[in-house]
Amino acid sequence: MNDFFMLIGFSEILLVIFMQWEVYVAKIIKTFSISSYAVSVFLLYLSFVQHSYLVLILAILTAVIRGFFIPNFILKRLARDPWRERESKPIMGTASSIIISLVIAIFAYVLYEATMLNFIGVLSGAIPIALVFQGAFLVISRRNAFIQLVGYMVMENAAFLFTGYLFPDLPFSVEAGTVLDLIGVVMISGIIMRMRENSPKKSDDIDELRG
Amino acid sequence: MLALSVIQLVYVLALAPLIAGIISTIEERIESKRGPSIFQPYYDLLKLFRKENVIPAKSSPIFRIGPYVTFSLYMLLTLVLPIITAFPLQFGPVVDFIGGGLTFGAAATFKKLMALDSRSNYAHLGTSRSASIGALSEPITVLIFIMLGVISKTNNPYIINNVLQTSMTWYLSLVHWFVAAAFFMVLLVETGKLPIESHSTAELGAIDQSMEIEYSGSDLAFFKWGGYAKQFLLMSVFLNVYTVPFWVPMKMNFDSVFIYMGIQLLKLVGLAIVFAFFEESVSKFRLLKNFDYIAVAFSMAFLSFLVFSISG
Repeated sequence: MNDFFMLIGFSEILLVIFMQWEVYVAKIIKTFSISSYAVSVFLLYLSFVQHSYLVLILAILTAVIRGFFIPNFILKRLARDPWRERESKPIMGTASSIIISLVIAIFAYVLYEATMLNFIGVLSGAIPIALVFQGAFLVISRRNAFIQLVGYMVMENAAFLFTGYLFPDLPFSVEAGTVLDLIGVVMISGIIMRMRENSPKKSDDIDELRG
Repeated sequence: MLALSVIQLVYVLALAPLIAGIISTIEERIESKRGPSIFQPYYDLLKLFRKENVIPAKSSPIFRIGPYVTFSLYMLLTLVLPIITAFPLQFGPVVDFIGGGLTFGAAATFKKLMALDSRSNYAHLGTSRSASIGALSEPITVLIFIMLGVISKTNNPYIINNVLQTSMTWYLSLVHWFVAAAFFMVLLVETGKLPIESHSTAELGAIDQSMEIEYSGSDLAFFKWGGYAKQFLLMSVFLNVYTVPFWVPMKMNFDSVFIYMGIQLLKLVGLAIVFAFFEESVSKFRLLKNFDYIAVAFSMAFLSFLVFSISG
């Protein structure tokens, strides 16, 4: 069980590092979709281990809403052709943001070991904590609102992973509520972002020529 | 043992150009072209051996002896790395993984000296690029070696192979696969596949081609042959130590070693296909984007530490 959790958890960390590497918005959204499917696979496995149909429902909800619906909804909100949408001027260099994201993961591990490990008792609980921090870093290291939204959803995925593995007794209504809340957040954000995209702005044609 | 060492040496030197030829041919086929024969590198080497050497007037003896020194260093590496056996051959105990890395580093440094000594601006351009990429990829290699040391409690590549062959726990562990992924990324850099188009002669991406630009005749042949051998060795290490350590004979037996030589060739062809697909399907980065690629490779290597620490 712990091995599977670690496999999924570290895949998630790698996917966040890939998001830091990527500049194309559509690819980042698709990566988030893969990361959500990975969380749902973990929940599916958990449902078999715990013989819980509620966790099974949660796994299906995660796959449908986080893996399929939300990424597709965001892709449709992209103002131009989705494959062209990219962030040409991130707040910091890509290489530095990858390394900082890595350092954050290590910092989260040290922090978790020093504070929460005593009462949780599972060392791998550091993985979702690292993901929360990495998601937050994705939000602050990018200018593009869609990528910032993905960063926020990465934090939510981490919270899901954390509660799913370490607090399996959390009421189903709370966890399912979190999944459904996200739809509202994404829809409202989509509308706001569409308004932002449509507002007049200075030309950035030259930026398009950058690598 | 000595006989097997000689067989291994001949095996590497004879087949190294073939692997390079296979990669080129598959790449051309992917591009729907007919492409050269898989034996083209042999024809190139033969042609170069027949041509005369031209030496820049202002170069020092380093330029002249360079290709032979680097070729000799790759030959030395051939004698000490696990290519066709998982038990140390005659010269196996001479170096460990760190020593092997240093020998690769020595060859790379000598190549840079040779290129600088050619007094050509293009060679200097390639040297500068090679040095900046090497400076970033070397720490990753060191991290990888340290992690392999953690897995096997040694720095000996033969023992690492034995541990991974016999312990499924280690073989399937995330630590091992993170290390393997990091090494794969470094391997692509070291063999000039990614992140930039280094096997092109175009000024914008050329690295090795710039460094050898002033060479001709047998000097160039040895330069190229050394390059093929380096690629062959690194691919073999990746297969035998990192990803597919199975079937490599762990005990002295001529029959099994000879059978394995065929298997090793098949493994290499499989990796050559993977290489070709990578080269054809992943777009090349610009030089300034190198750091991003290297940063991801570094992350992979470093995450293996985190996995090890968390999994206890």
